[in-house]
Amino acid sequence: MAPKKDVKAPAAAAKKAEPAKAAAAPAPEPAPAPAAPAAVDLSAVKIEFAADVIDDYRESFGLFDRVGDSKVAYIQIADIMRALGQNPTNKEVAKMLGNPTPEDMTAKRVEFEGFLPMMQTVVNNPNKAVYEDYVEGLRVFDKEGNGTVMGAELRIVLSTLGEKMTEAEIDALMTGQEDENGCVNYEAFVKHIMSV
Amino acid sequence: MGCGMGKSEPLLKECHKESISVPAISAALLIQRWYRQHVARLEMRRRCTWKIFQSIEYAGEQDQIKLYNFFGFLMDHFTPASSESKTDLNSSLLHRNLISHIFRKNEICLDTEWKRYFCYKSIEVTKSYTGPHLTFPMTFCGVSKLVEAFKHKEQLHARYVLQLLEETWRLLRTFPNISHVIACHTKPITICGDLHGHLEDLLLIFYKNGLPSSDKPYVFNGDFVDRGKHSLEILLILFGFLLVYPNDVHLNRGNHEDHIVNLRYGFTKEVLGKYRVHGKKILKLLQMIFSWLPLATVIDNKVLIVHGGISDTTDLDKIARVDRQKYASALRPPKMKVHGCMTKMNENREREAFGQVEGRRRVCSLTYHSSAPDHRHDLPRRSLNNTPVCSKLDLSVDEKLNRRCRLSGFDQARCELKKSDSYLESKTTETDLDEWKQIVDVLWSDPMPQNGCIPNEMRGGGYYWGPDVTEEVLRRNNLQLLIRSHECKQDGYEFCHNRRVITIFSASNYYEVGSNRGAFIRMGPDLVPHFIQYQASTTCRELTLRQSVGWTERSALQALREQLFVHRSDLISAFQEFDPNNKGMISVTHWASTTERVLNLGLPWRVLRPQLVSSTQHGMMDYQQWIKELSITEPKLEQYSLLPFQISDNSILDTMYKNHSNLETIFRIIDTDHSGLISFKEFHQTWELLRSHLKTEISAKAIADLAQSIDFNKDGSIDINEFLEAFRLVDISAHN
Repeated sequence: MAPKKDVKAPAAAAKKAEPAKAAAAPAPEPAPAPAAPAAVDLSAVKIEFAADVIDDYRESFGLFDRVGDSKVAYIQIADIMRALGQNPTNKEVAKMLGNPTPEDMTAKRVEFEGFLPMMQTVVNNPNKAVYEDYVEGLRVFDKEGNGTVMGAELRIVLSTLGEKMTEAEIDALMTGQEDENGCVNYEAFVKHIMSV
Repeated sequence: MGCGMGKSEPLLKECHKESISVPAISAALLIQRWYRQHVARLEMRRRCTWKIFQSIEYAGEQDQIKLYNFFGFLMDHFTPASSESKTDLNSSLLHRNLISHIFRKNEICLDTEWKRYFCYKSIEVTKSYTGPHLTFPMTFCGVSKLVEAFKHKEQLHARYVLQLLEETWRLLRTFPNISHVIACHTKPITICGDLHGHLEDLLLIFYKNGLPSSDKPYVFNGDFVDRGKHSLEILLILFGFLLVYPNDVHLNRGNHEDHIVNLRYGFTKEVLGKYRVHGKKILKLLQMIFSWLPLATVIDNKVLIVHGGISDTTDLDKIARVDRQKYASALRPPKMKVHGCMTKMNENREREAFGQVEGRRRVCSLTYHSSAPDHRHDLPRRSLNNTPVCSKLDLSVDEKLNRRCRLSGFDQARCELKKSDSYLESKTTETDLDEWKQIVDVLWSDPMPQNGCIPNEMRGGGYYWGPDVTEEVLRRNNLQLLIRSHECKQDGYEFCHNRRVITIFSASNYYEVGSNRGAFIRMGPDLVPHFIQYQASTTCRELTLRQSVGWTERSALQALREQLFVHRSDLISAFQEFDPNNKGMISVTHWASTTERVLNLGLPWRVLRPQLVSSTQHGMMDYQQWIKELSITEPKLEQYSLLPFQISDNSILDTMYKNHSNLETIFRIIDTDHSGLISFKEFHQTWELLRSHLKTEISAKAIADLAQSIDFNKDGSIDINEFLEAFRLVDISAHN
């Protein structure tokens, strides 16, 4: 599958993303690329998941319905996709939802049939990174070139750049990673974060 | 914390303005995205695990209610004086006699009889006793001493237990159904939820919050007992504080303050195990105390605290007026008689001696002032046709009976057949049913997100009520907040229904070590709840989220595999329906839907499949292999197939494993003197009862063989605990 050019994604080639451990591997052909940077035309997305996979997705989708109307709130969509093995950024998801307001994110809901093309879009544009990508990314902050980064700097970066994380999230992420000098060995760090 | 955002953000921008490179942002995004995916997957696993535990727990409760309804049906429909003599009927009568005592109201009603039965004075405290000594009336010192003693794992002498319980009973009888509390500036009120025998959690609460006192009022919202190993200690502590500070300690009854539920969930066993000689008396006394526990607490006439919740018919005025001590077990309405107006009924009317004497006798309370009409004693017998409300009564009682038929697994036809043989006593029970409903609803109901009010089928009692019902009931009763417990929450508490309902749960690590935190509420006169969370046990505090999710998940999957294993014969037959050519293969879709159909737990099987099924090919799986693998993954299960004695009939083994809780419950009911021993005959009758309830065939020979093989002492009686241990039935519920 040809890697899609995406300004935000890392330059490294993305491996084809596999949806949650399904028996039958879906074999989607390249879907039509989103035309403009603005809204994604979901109605044009052809669903290519196998029936089994769709059933798996449907069941997982149902787990997130806290209200009982067979729908989920916009704000949950990104998490459902992540739970199903994808890795979209919040911005990508917002784009697919038509860039809703914060109020819309909690108030508006979507049913499974509406979710499926979104999932297909994300599967078709995987942002899967491998070990080397993370290590390369972190090497940027390795001022002394000795395999470590300053925990403090990492924290600042994570809370100020990109899709900012909260203090609590960063704490949870960094637990046990900093040595007594406040340094993080980033290869070990990446191994840690990839060992889920 | 390296995140001094206030200071460093401008600093960062200063220094790196020119050098914020795309790689840096990309790196940040990478990590952030990874992290969010990790958390989302963890959350999904956690939710599944939760669902597993909760489903198994509620399925057990539902099972218990079904069993109890079955008993109720036996009670209502098989009378000693029936004219029919079918063997089936006879055996049903026999069964009825085995269980009738659990329906018997408290026989002791006069003070003198009381004293004789529960006389603790004759129980000597010998010098060899090293536990705490209590003096009465109870003092703060005395209770503190008790708390300390329990902390050091000491056991209170039976004499003191009985004395403390008797004092508690006397006190509780003077309380109204609803406790009213005024919130005070200097004395914030502490509200605790389910404790379920978790002494360490109660001690943790006292440590964080202080002991109850007149400056530190507490409300304990039910479910003090069952499941945990220190239910009795918790009760004694709570009752102790109640005696010292009757105006500042408020106890609400929970659905587990019920001797029938206790038979299944461990409290009965705990008491009998700790007090071999006096355990039975203690249980009897507790049975009465439970029925005297208040049903609700109201703070400042604005905040309602009940254990379960509400339904659309919840009415505080009605609840205030019920004769609460009539309901020793909330699982069953007071002696419900079949109304004579039933159209399908035979006109045969025979007197049921049992019911007549029992049904209407009220315990004469010394100090309890009931506003309930006294004439309830002797209601006029309503004749068949000539009351105007007759038809209305018909329908509701008929409906209710049918519902109970269905609930207990009897089909309509069988109901009708028996009806014609049974006795009809036309006492009006409408008010009683209404009262009973008010009580069951507040003890068993759960909130749901959708509007409406539907029967709570998962638990088998009470309702699911929606936000609209919350609004209406709160409005109608002039309240602003409902605090309830009854459901375990991961963070110890949870808001719902637009923050008008709070669930507060105080037993941490309820399902498993690390599964959840406990919490309690502190509330001042502003009636704003403040939550304090905690988690007992040092080991789990050090676990990361991932570790604790993993641990709990492992435990849940183990429990689930056991459930699957004990249902293996049913599963295999069900799978074979989709495998007509007997290839041993079935599609994943069929596997998921069939497993749900057999186990009926409402679980996301497709999501769980990777954890339960080792491999699939092209969407198909080998189910025979899978069943075999279940026991290999859980080596403990394998030993169920290797028992030290021969059993002629394998189906009896399967029935045992599937229904071990029911079996144990029936044993304990039949064992009227709580000796832990039952005779061969009673053992046989237990199986007969079970067979009747389940409507399965178990050969008499198989039962006889079983009885022989487990008479370990060869003395003609069977030790219940030994039996359960020998068949490893204890293991199945070991992690509960």
